[in-house]
Amino acid sequence: MNRIFAIAHNTFREAVRNKILYSLLFFAVVLIVSALALGELTLGEQVRLTRDLGLYGIDIFGVLIAIFLGVNLLYKELSLKTIYTILPKPLYRFEFVAGKWIGMLVTLAIQFAVMGAVLYFALFLQDADFELQTAKALFLLYLNVMVITSIALVFSSFSSPFLSGIFALGVFVVGRSISDLQMIGNRAGGMTKSLIQASTYVIPNLNVFFPSGTIVGAERVTVNGQFVNSAYLVDATIYGVGYSLIALFVAIVIFNRRDFV
Amino acid sequence: MSSDVVLSAEQLKKTFRIGFLRKRVEAVKDVSFRVYRGEIFGFLGPNGAGKTTTMKMLMGLIYPTSGRGEVLGRKVGDVDAKRRMGYLPETPYFYEYLSVEEFLDFAGSLSGVKGPERRKRRDALISRVGLDHARGRPLRKYSKGMLQRAGIAQSLMGDPELVVLDEPMTGLDPIGRKEIRDLMLELRREGRTVFFSTHILHDVELTCDRVAIVVAGRLRSEGTLGQLLSARLLSTSVVLIPGPEGLPDLPAGTIRMENGGQLELQIPATVDVNQFLGAALSRQCSVVSVVPRRESLEDVFVREAQAPVATASEVKT
Repeated sequence: MNRIFAIAHNTFREAVRNKILYSLLFFAVVLIVSALALGELTLGEQVRLTRDLGLYGIDIFGVLIAIFLGVNLLYKELSLKTIYTILPKPLYRFEFVAGKWIGMLVTLAIQFAVMGAVLYFALFLQDADFELQTAKALFLLYLNVMVITSIALVFSSFSSPFLSGIFALGVFVVGRSISDLQMIGNRAGGMTKSLIQASTYVIPNLNVFFPSGTIVGAERVTVNGQFVNSAYLVDATIYGVGYSLIALFVAIVIFNRRDFV
Repeated sequence: MSSDVVLSAEQLKKTFRIGFLRKRVEAVKDVSFRVYRGEIFGFLGPNGAGKTTTMKMLMGLIYPTSGRGEVLGRKVGDVDAKRRMGYLPETPYFYEYLSVEEFLDFAGSLSGVKGPERRKRRDALISRVGLDHARGRPLRKYSKGMLQRAGIAQSLMGDPELVVLDEPMTGLDPIGRKEIRDLMLELRREGRTVFFSTHILHDVELTCDRVAIVVAGRLRSEGTLGQLLSARLLSTSVVLIPGPEGLPDLPAGTIRMENGGQLELQIPATVDVNQFLGAALSRQCSVVSVVPRRESLEDVFVREAQAPVATASEVKT
């Protein structure tokens, strides 16, 4: 466990010292603050607009950061050849991949904590009451990036960062459109329906982590009003963590079989 | 004796598949050797001979196509064996955002060295490799020689019994190379085994107890330097100043070179040099030096590298 922790710690340290991540974080903060300015233009809806735009910003930049981190995670170790020094140390290959994955999740958690704190501060400036919906939405968005970054990790275990990024982004777009795709499949029927159904077993349904505006149970949920309950959060956590662990397992299997020439 | 074997390769073979057409490239065809406890073992070969691939197979970075390797009596990749071994890869690539302190700490924690002991070992190694003045500086600002020293320090963080160094002298200046050679000799004095690859023969002659020569993916020779270098006389170099009566007749096959007033003669091994010297002295020549030339490691290396390869082609499609 110490070895996994050591790898995770180093991964986190690398991310902290990476300037590109800071610039992404900076843009996210700018977007949240600009939501504050835009909110001023909409009478009576400032809080709602700030919260919505803020969460969208965190969602988009969170996914970009997750893909950036995920696709580079293993590839960088291979292209910079640092792996030659690490793997002959007394650790198993799976410990290395697991440590990298944990380090990346900790990095993302801290990024989300920072972005979430900025959003709460923006809401506070608009005299919004403290509420938990925003925190719940942030938690769901974190689960979303956990899944995306784990998928990016799988691609990164055998492909270049560019291709891995394209694939991971593709999975994100399809994963967010899965309900629409299912609807199209149901209407089309036949082969199209079977194909779409088969793909839903592989591609994660990312709508689970962005429920605002959808019907959960019998009610339409929104982060500005009636939002999801704790049971929903537990189910979403099981789904997100479970999917991510499967992706981690696949990445480990691929990584275990590789030659490091 | 077998319990003293710390590293062994048994008929290691590695075939890569490269390119779109999955061409077969046999990087290592048949390599077997044993490294014994407490020795410095040099793994020699020209560029592209398969040294690094063989080392990577023994370090668990590449899976062999066939054959097997053992490290400290265990299968390659065994974590317990890796704990007792240190490795420096060819051309050091490290986390450039770390300082040498952080890097050694990281290496130590992966090797299972606990806190206070880790710090103690880290500080001692930084001093030992002469990086005290740059201990807080990020590795990206290190010169090649400094990186090589940091690399050697990280390989020693686990206090290993076996130290494996892939081309440790490459790119270093003469002082840097001497430092690495001295360090290897020091490691042997401490009872550690050193296995290193190189194509710099001078370093091998100065440090190694035994060597193996690999050419085109096959092991050509293995043994002590004494075993590999024949005591056979190749020629005798005689430097003399001709006397007033000139030179005696030169034996057939002698190569003659003039240097100022001196004459250097390379006399073939088949000639009786004493008889020639007697004739030269009787003509009042003054003999400056007589040096017998025997086979050097370079002669062996060149002979092995130029010997015909057993198989017709390195690349099979």
